[in-house]
Amino acid sequence: MTKRQTRAFFLGSTLLFSLIFLALTVDGHRQFPKLTHSDQITPEVIAGKHVWHRKNCINCHTLMGEGAYYAPDLTKIADQRGAPYLRAFLADPAKFYNEERDRRLMPNLHLTPQEIDEVVAFLAWVGKIDTQGWPPRPILVSGSTIPGSNVGGAAPQPASDDPVAIGQALFGQAPPGCFACHSTAPGVNLVGPSLAGIATTAAARIKEDDYKGKATDVEGYIQESILSPNAYVVEGSTFSSNGQSMMPGGFGESLEPAQVTSLVAYLMTLK
Amino acid sequence: MRYRSQSVAYAYFVVALLLYGLQMVFGITSIVKYLGPDPIKAFLPFDVSKEIHTNVLIVWVLTGFMGAAYWLVPEESRTELHSPRLAYWQLGLWTTAGVTAVVGYLFGWTEGNKLLEQPMPVKLAIVVTMLMFLYNIGMTIWKARKLTTTEGVLVAGLALTAVLYLPALLTFDNYTVSIYYRWWTVHLWVEGVWEMVQGGLLAYLLIRLSGADREVMEKWLYVIVGLTFIAGILGTAHHYYWIGVPGYWLVFGGFFSALEPLAFLGMAIYAYMAMRRSGLAHPNRLALHWTIGSAVFSALGAGILGLAHTWPSVNKWTHGTMITAMHGHMAFFGAYVMIVLAMITYAMPGLFGHDQEAGESPAGLWAFWLQIAGMFGMTMAFAAAGIGQTYLERIMGLGYLETQHKIQVHFLMVLGTGLLFTLGVALFLYDFFFLAPRRRTAPAAWPAVPEASR
Repeated sequence: MTKRQTRAFFLGSTLLFSLIFLALTVDGHRQFPKLTHSDQITPEVIAGKHVWHRKNCINCHTLMGEGAYYAPDLTKIADQRGAPYLRAFLADPAKFYNEERDRRLMPNLHLTPQEIDEVVAFLAWVGKIDTQGWPPRPILVSGSTIPGSNVGGAAPQPASDDPVAIGQALFGQAPPGCFACHSTAPGVNLVGPSLAGIATTAAARIKEDDYKGKATDVEGYIQESILSPNAYVVEGSTFSSNGQSMMPGGFGESLEPAQVTSLVAYLMTLK
Repeated sequence: MRYRSQSVAYAYFVVALLLYGLQMVFGITSIVKYLGPDPIKAFLPFDVSKEIHTNVLIVWVLTGFMGAAYWLVPEESRTELHSPRLAYWQLGLWTTAGVTAVVGYLFGWTEGNKLLEQPMPVKLAIVVTMLMFLYNIGMTIWKARKLTTTEGVLVAGLALTAVLYLPALLTFDNYTVSIYYRWWTVHLWVEGVWEMVQGGLLAYLLIRLSGADREVMEKWLYVIVGLTFIAGILGTAHHYYWIGVPGYWLVFGGFFSALEPLAFLGMAIYAYMAMRRSGLAHPNRLALHWTIGSAVFSALGAGILGLAHTWPSVNKWTHGTMITAMHGHMAFFGAYVMIVLAMITYAMPGLFGHDQEAGESPAGLWAFWLQIAGMFGMTMAFAAAGIGQTYLERIMGLGYLETQHKIQVHFLMVLGTGLLFTLGVALFLYDFFFLAPRRRTAPAAWPAVPEASR
């Protein structure tokens, strides 16, 4: 090979692959609207994207796995947590996490309520992007999809005296051991059904014809499910059999009324 | 130093090395924050310390590239630089832009776009300085009417670096589209045109250090940069897998990413063959260390460790974990930091007016080995953290926070080896700023370069 030939190899292959890349880019632009649901990019979503950039979120968090690795991935956070939880969290992260316990705590960014709504709208849109099945299983902020996999860890303590925080900690403690049967990740059913989106599910369920329980609102439904599991039975081979729920009864006796209220307050945030 | 105007490089190396030191401060700060709790997060949160750590790296490596070009181009084109004064003005503007960005970050002035956080006025200043640089270099070569392949590849790499910065000036409402073009800058820099810069500098150093035949070296240089672009251009795909682009990018990414180590392995073989053929007789043994080190470490860090997680079915689980930090640290250090330090150590005797026969300084060798050991340790610690994180968080489904708590010991290892690395950097700076200027020996004639390699 001569130098002239190797130069031709360099220039020719670079030109060829650049052209292929440009052609694929043109095709990409043809497909982006469908893959990213670009019709749902509202002015609020765009404003939320600006908040995301302005507050430098990407240098702690990842979005679709891109960013920094100091804080959890947020691709599907809107589905996992729901807008009410995210709004409360962003207003004051210290209510939900404790730096002594968790070693990390998101600084309070002092966002205005409008900025919070915008960034939550942005994250909700991101959650809808077709990411080719990524992540292959939910990435949780805290907790576990598999009971017992956090062996050796101390029982979670509430991060503040907010009822939601107390309920969240209680959910991970044994007793009562809710986490042993219920995950809070969408689609991750353990022995009991996943509680992801329970507040939304409950709102629809109490309106159904085959609902025979006494609850008239979402809070009432969740409380009833804890205290009398047989009031409404979810079908599923490990959930129930012969119309009887497999969830243990007796939480009415073992839990204080205030604890039940806290658990309900926490589960109400799972929308 | 054959041409007086080559001394412009000294000013660039000073700025580059000071920023290298600053990068260490923010790197250590960032890893300490991983151990938590973080008492200073109210005024220096992680996002800021990490942003400064990475931005300062990019700025100082580019400063080093430009300094290296100002050293190399007059020698290759056998002429004085077109305008040393313009080069100093350019450095002044460049440094002002860089320092403004860093201070701005401390006060939350950022565009919050990973690695391209520079606010728009800073971005425009960067474009202007790049144009000043290209004009100065272009005029030098134009007036000399002499362009060697080595400097041609180097200058083309730097010119394309400027061109590929342009997508960073665009904004898109669709987040997926903005990431798509962000990688045109970031990926095509580090796995494309910067490899041209590395290849050009490597060829220059190998020709000078080993006296290898220029025709042969430059012939293979074309092969290496050709391989870089065959794999690198469509290899952008491995950043596209999960961001909302068509599924065929998974196929392209798997195939072309698998080819990406070829160019880096090529460079390692290239260096080895040059040494085999022409020996290791050059008196500047320190520059030899950094040159060979760069070829080996970039093959390991950029080539092999990159390949370790670019295959789609692996990346599906490792994407966005500490595995990326493992690859990133060694790749950047091997490919770009080491080649700049090789150029600096090669130019040092000339810049300080030393006798070439004086050999290496003990402090310089310690600086080399401490950085090598520190970076190797950090890479291993990041790897252990990343493997643990992938299994616990991604496969087992343990929460992010609980996982981070369980892999803390590896962050402690990153801190320990990071301090070792920082010690190496501090020694390098101490040697450059204090020991070397005082090591006054009679300037001897520049060692004869065999006629064939000129």
